Amino acid sequence: MPHSSFNPYETAQKQFDNIADKLDLDAPTRNLLRDSMREFNFAIPVKMDDGSTKIFRGFRVQHNDARGPFNGGIRFHPQETIDTVRAQAMWMTWKCAVVDLPLGGGKGGVICDPHDLTTGEQERLCRGWVRQISKNIGPLSDIPAPDVMTNAQHMLWMLDEYETIQGNKYPGFITGKPVGMGGSLGRKEATGYGVVFTLREALKELGIRCEDTTASFQGFGNVAQYAIDLYHQLGGKTVCVSCWDQNDQVAYSYTRKDGIDLAELQGITSRFGCIDRAKATELGYQLQPGDAWIEQPVDILVPSALENQVNADTVQSIKPSVKILAEGANGPTSPQADKFLKKMGVFVIPDFIANAGGVICSYFEQVQCNINYFWERDEVLGKLDQKMTSAFIAVSELAKKKKLSTRDAAYVIAISRVAQACKDRSWI
Amino acid sequence: MTEHDNDHSRTTRAVGSLLSTLQERAKELSCLYAVEEVLFDPNRSLGDIFKMVVEVIPPGWQYSDICQAQISHNEETYQTTGFKETQWTQCADIYAGESLSGRLLVSYNEDRPPADDGPFLKEESKLIETIADRLGHFILHQQTREMFRVLSRTPQRNNGGDRGEWRLALDLMWQTDPNLFGRIIRKMMNHLCWRGVDEAESLLARYGGGMWTDGVIGETNQPLKKTDTEGLVSLGEEAFRIATLYLSDLEILASIKKWIGEDKSGFLVRSLVNAHAPLSTITDALMKYQHLVHDKSELPRSALASACVSLTRRFFTDQLEFINIAKNHVEIEDFFELVGRMVSPAGSNGKLGGKSAGLFLANKILQNNNHHTGDLGEIRVPKTWYVASDGLLEFVRFNAIEDVHEQKYKTVEEVRQEYPHLVKVFKNLHFPQEMKKGLSMALDDFGDVPLIVRSSSLLEDRLGSAFSGKYKSLFLANQGDKEARLEALMDAIAEVYASTFGPDPIEYRAERGLLDFFEEMGIMIQEVVGTRAGNYFLPSFAGVSFSNNEFRWSSRIRREDGLVRIVPGLGTRAVDRLTDDYPVLAAPGQPRLRVNASFEDMVRYSPKYLDVIDLVNNKFQTMEFSSIIRDLGNEFPQIEQIVSVYSDDRLKAPNALTTDYREDDIVITFEGLFRNTPFLKQMRAILQTLEESMGTPVDIEFASVGNVLYLLQCRPQSHSMDVESAQIPKHIPPENLLFSANKYISNGRIPDITHVVYVSPDEYGKLEDHSSLVSVGMAIGQLNKLLPKRQFVLMGPGRWGSRGDIKLGIRVTYSDINNTAVLIEIARKKGAYVPDLSFGTHFFQDLVEASIRYLPLYPDDKGISFNEDFLSNSPNLLKNILPQFGDLEKVIKVIDIQKVTDGKILRILMNAAREEAVGILCPPESPVAYEDESMESRGLEIEDHWKWRHRMAERIGATLDAQRYGVDGIYLFGSTKNATAGPASDVDLLIHFSGNEQQRRELEHWLEGWSNCLDELNYLKTGSRSDGLLDVHIITDEDIEKRSSFAIKIGAVTDAALQLPLKKE
Repeated sequence: MPHSSFNPYETAQKQFDNIADKLDLDAPTRNLLRDSMREFNFAIPVKMDDGSTKIFRGFRVQHNDARGPFNGGIRFHPQETIDTVRAQAMWMTWKCAVVDLPLGGGKGGVICDPHDLTTGEQERLCRGWVRQISKNIGPLSDIPAPDVMTNAQHMLWMLDEYETIQGNKYPGFITGKPVGMGGSLGRKEATGYGVVFTLREALKELGIRCEDTTASFQGFGNVAQYAIDLYHQLGGKTVCVSCWDQNDQVAYSYTRKDGIDLAELQGITSRFGCIDRAKATELGYQLQPGDAWIEQPVDILVPSALENQVNADTVQSIKPSVKILAEGANGPTSPQADKFLKKMGVFVIPDFIANAGGVICSYFEQVQCNINYFWERDEVLGKLDQKMTSAFIAVSELAKKKKLSTRDAAYVIAISRVAQACKDRSWI
Repeated sequence: MTEHDNDHSRTTRAVGSLLSTLQERAKELSCLYAVEEVLFDPNRSLGDIFKMVVEVIPPGWQYSDICQAQISHNEETYQTTGFKETQWTQCADIYAGESLSGRLLVSYNEDRPPADDGPFLKEESKLIETIADRLGHFILHQQTREMFRVLSRTPQRNNGGDRGEWRLALDLMWQTDPNLFGRIIRKMMNHLCWRGVDEAESLLARYGGGMWTDGVIGETNQPLKKTDTEGLVSLGEEAFRIATLYLSDLEILASIKKWIGEDKSGFLVRSLVNAHAPLSTITDALMKYQHLVHDKSELPRSALASACVSLTRRFFTDQLEFINIAKNHVEIEDFFELVGRMVSPAGSNGKLGGKSAGLFLANKILQNNNHHTGDLGEIRVPKTWYVASDGLLEFVRFNAIEDVHEQKYKTVEEVRQEYPHLVKVFKNLHFPQEMKKGLSMALDDFGDVPLIVRSSSLLEDRLGSAFSGKYKSLFLANQGDKEARLEALMDAIAEVYASTFGPDPIEYRAERGLLDFFEEMGIMIQEVVGTRAGNYFLPSFAGVSFSNNEFRWSSRIRREDGLVRIVPGLGTRAVDRLTDDYPVLAAPGQPRLRVNASFEDMVRYSPKYLDVIDLVNNKFQTMEFSSIIRDLGNEFPQIEQIVSVYSDDRLKAPNALTTDYREDDIVITFEGLFRNTPFLKQMRAILQTLEESMGTPVDIEFASVGNVLYLLQCRPQSHSMDVESAQIPKHIPPENLLFSANKYISNGRIPDITHVVYVSPDEYGKLEDHSSLVSVGMAIGQLNKLLPKRQFVLMGPGRWGSRGDIKLGIRVTYSDINNTAVLIEIARKKGAYVPDLSFGTHFFQDLVEASIRYLPLYPDDKGISFNEDFLSNSPNLLKNILPQFGDLEKVIKVIDIQKVTDGKILRILMNAAREEAVGILCPPESPVAYEDESMESRGLEIEDHWKWRHRMAERIGATLDAQRYGVDGIYLFGSTKNATAGPASDVDLLIHFSGNEQQRRELEHWLEGWSNCLDELNYLKTGSRSDGLLDVHIITDEDIEKRSSFAIKIGAVTDAALQLPLKKE
């Protein structure tokens, strides 16, 4: 039964095979890249608050480190499976490669439900995870980061345990730390700004002045707010944002023809990007159904909320005026919609690269930790701009040259870079 | 003399007379103090006492220079030098207990101008009575003390007891209190007869009758006649001679001791035995007791217990369960304070009501247990005044509005219609003088602290009647001058009184068969626990706690670990279920297991608002926390225990030095309170102590200020509505049992489920691509909107709303499931491994606030039934309802229970105490054996709601001018069509429309009128108001063709919309 069901790892492998065909990779390369290089599966005994001991199962999957140390998150999930972790590790390898970071891909996890664990137990679990795997990870070999149900606090416990074992300070051992404890400035802005860096480049390529454009955003969370901020700085005008309304349990779109006032909207927005409906109406924003964001006669659509939002149904309502779709969210476009967009001639900036700002900033955190010197915010964002811009240019040039979709082009670049590194090391 | 001079002299005279009056009062008072001072030393002999007392009396009288006093006692007299009885003499008898024991005289030697009583003032008459009274008490006390001394000496000297000792005691008694002596003989004779001693019986027969009934030794106040006393002595000799034959000396001694004690507290018991004695008599008796009894150990336990029980019954309730518990914890002294803070109409016969009783008892229990366990910490009860329950009747009588008592027999529409006027009338009525005086005293006692006026209904203490929230509780800022505050207080009480006749309580009582119960309403006036911060008054935090946790969010939490719902500010927001906000939850038995594991969830589910009293505007107010914190900063009481600081994706404890509460991003988490204070430990101890002592799980309301916890309310947890446990029938035919469960069960009963949405765990696991998995969640979201609200259940594998690996649970958000009645998670064994379930944690708090039940199923466990065949193989309606998701037919099963089972419904019964839950198929009209009638009557009520809605929908169809508005058809669906509409249900109409824009606007207009009218009607019937009762969905030909949106309801396979006849041309 299980083998016939949806398996994220098989899906990731299929995706790889598809690109490998395009690149015409040889068998050894395929065999190497299709699977993880190393996998660790270990027991973590934890003393519980009531004095009993519970054994948890921990994982670390190291997919490929031909381009640099593995890096990737640690997930706490009660029904974690090795295949999920494998798929995510592979995806991490590609994600680092496409923006040309000197890093490989890894992923780890623990089968546990943080809802069932006290803070003390979670701390002992984090320390236990590090103790079991400390020989095989480190700032120069494998760098963990926060992921599902883990946060900065978990990272600090793990760092502390690692440094205690090693007897030295290694702030670059782990990322996702708070500012002041080895974290990097600019991380909040990174993803949203990154989206607009690629958007700016796309506009340049299409020969459109940013000042002449209008945009509609789905979502008004962290990513969208910073993206709008930078987009407005570049002279663009946002006419619509949509957001989830926590009280009404439904999404709404807020539109204003002469452009929204970001600061004004932020003033009536909760931490989670929920705009106060009553106040917005009072301020003269037009209230529309949640789906209305996609129907706007704008130049740019930025889905930056959930996956699968641009699908076979909704894609039909996209107006002919739309020229660019920048994927701020993960996987917002379904494969059918992708085809439709291609037909419409919409330029898609794939999530792979559009929202890579977070990963890049995580890399910057390692770099700063390793040299033990921390940059100002502007320096971080400036370097982010460079990275994203060059990554975008590479993808878009390849797409043009080889007549690929931008999405495929991004994959092709990522996989060929990793394959090349393996070859350069004469592994294959 | 000029006018001015005249005025002046009048004023001077007035001032002079006022001054002399005041001087007199001062003299009287100091005299009384002087007497008390003399009496204070119990070791002085009576003679000495009397000598001293006569000396301190004259200075208390107006003309002290010519005043003399004399006390005569036992043929001795004590007097001031030169005393003689003149024609200007006052006299007061001194009674020790019930026997006349002496006399107090006060006389003037010369004539003086006449006053109230000869030359004496009326205050002086009162004074001499008071002094005589005090002397009487003192004499009685001395006498009994003497006897006790004799009696208690004995056993220590000789284990067998010594005949001489009890004889000595009897002799002493005979000399000092012949009445008592007589009563002791009588008791001894009765005692002997009881033991079947024939001689005693014949003795009783011989002396019986006359001896006692003539009142010779009875309770008359006449001195005994010589001959009778001789008879008494010989009777005593005889009785005790017989006694020595049958009883040991020790027994005799013990009996005498016991009877003396009983005799001493007898007056209290006697006044309590009389059920019709007014409260004032009891209050007097209690006060007398307080003066008289200095050492309780002198009294027999049985007498004390009896008095306590009587007092409990008198002040609180006749309910035996309550009395049984109370008698172990309550002592007579506990009532002293109570009677000092009571407001009652003259001749009141009322009680204090359920709320007062619960709080009083809980407080005593906690105080008594405080010595045993340190964890209880300091717990206080806010200062409280009580208005007796018949205050309401007196109020009604005084204002001659007795006809309000008929209110409850009117129809609920009438009641609702009249209620606003009734409130207005009540607020303009006057309080009887007696009550007004009492309330004024209460305000003097409280000062200008904010108050809460709470109802304390006599119905509240009846088991099974959860009256919480049915009657009003009103906050008063209590600011301004006394007159205004008194006005406001009376206004509030009048409003609470009016709420007795409000539609909600009346309807509620009608449903429960309590309508004919004559409603009396006690009132509690309670100091609001809190502190002033800026212009606001609020406690640091407040909330409710339950000793049974009915909403466990982890398998590690046991039911008995309890639950705390806590909010900053006033506790109102924790008591009620909120739709727009969340209280912070904690389980005192598992203090470190939080509901929300990630900081995002901790922030999302943190309270955003709080309730405070605005002292400037004199009102109760709900404020946004962020705005109040900007205003108050660290002036907010105990802020460091309440909040965390959100920064860098972390929640940090506030730092005394660096945290700026006005500027920083502040989130309410109560981390400091839970982590750094013993609060949860204390709460657990409180809940456990109360549960143990009261023999039932309890829920309490609390508030805290300055680290001191106040108890505000305590009642059995069974009184809370939504935790009623269901009775599970013993023998369920297997074909009717859909599933059973025996792990992590909470209480609940979901009676009428018409549809089941079942996601097959096997088939879901077999799905091969990600997008199919995502679309299962989307299909569920659609079904959630289309199936009848709260009439369907969702059953699915693993974790609903899983955020990680989609394979492990269906990806839905709360809005995709928010109309379900129950969320069921199925954990099927995979090999040797049974996956953990989520306990709905992803939207746990949303479920709690919306009262959606959660139930985990473990079908592979031993002894568990799971009718997979029914779920998998019943006709599946998915394709018909959502054709676009037809390909998921194997995975998602939508079952119309009524259709499949010939009209049966699914009923889920959950019983936490038995850790048992079942889902059974049964006919809707024959309720399963269920003990609480109230549930059935609620069923009847539902019938009413849908019937009139249905009629109205038909009327709309019949009056709708189809041609004019371009309407092709009108359909009814949802709860009204399904006969399940409740008081808050709307009427779902589907209108097939083919007109133009103009017609559409007009149609909408026309329907809006209907909608508002029906809403008003519904409000009158039920008290539930919305923005209009109709929920109209307009569909076009295109919709029908595409079967999009609600168009699929037309001719649908399940829950199809019902076509209503249109107006005939």
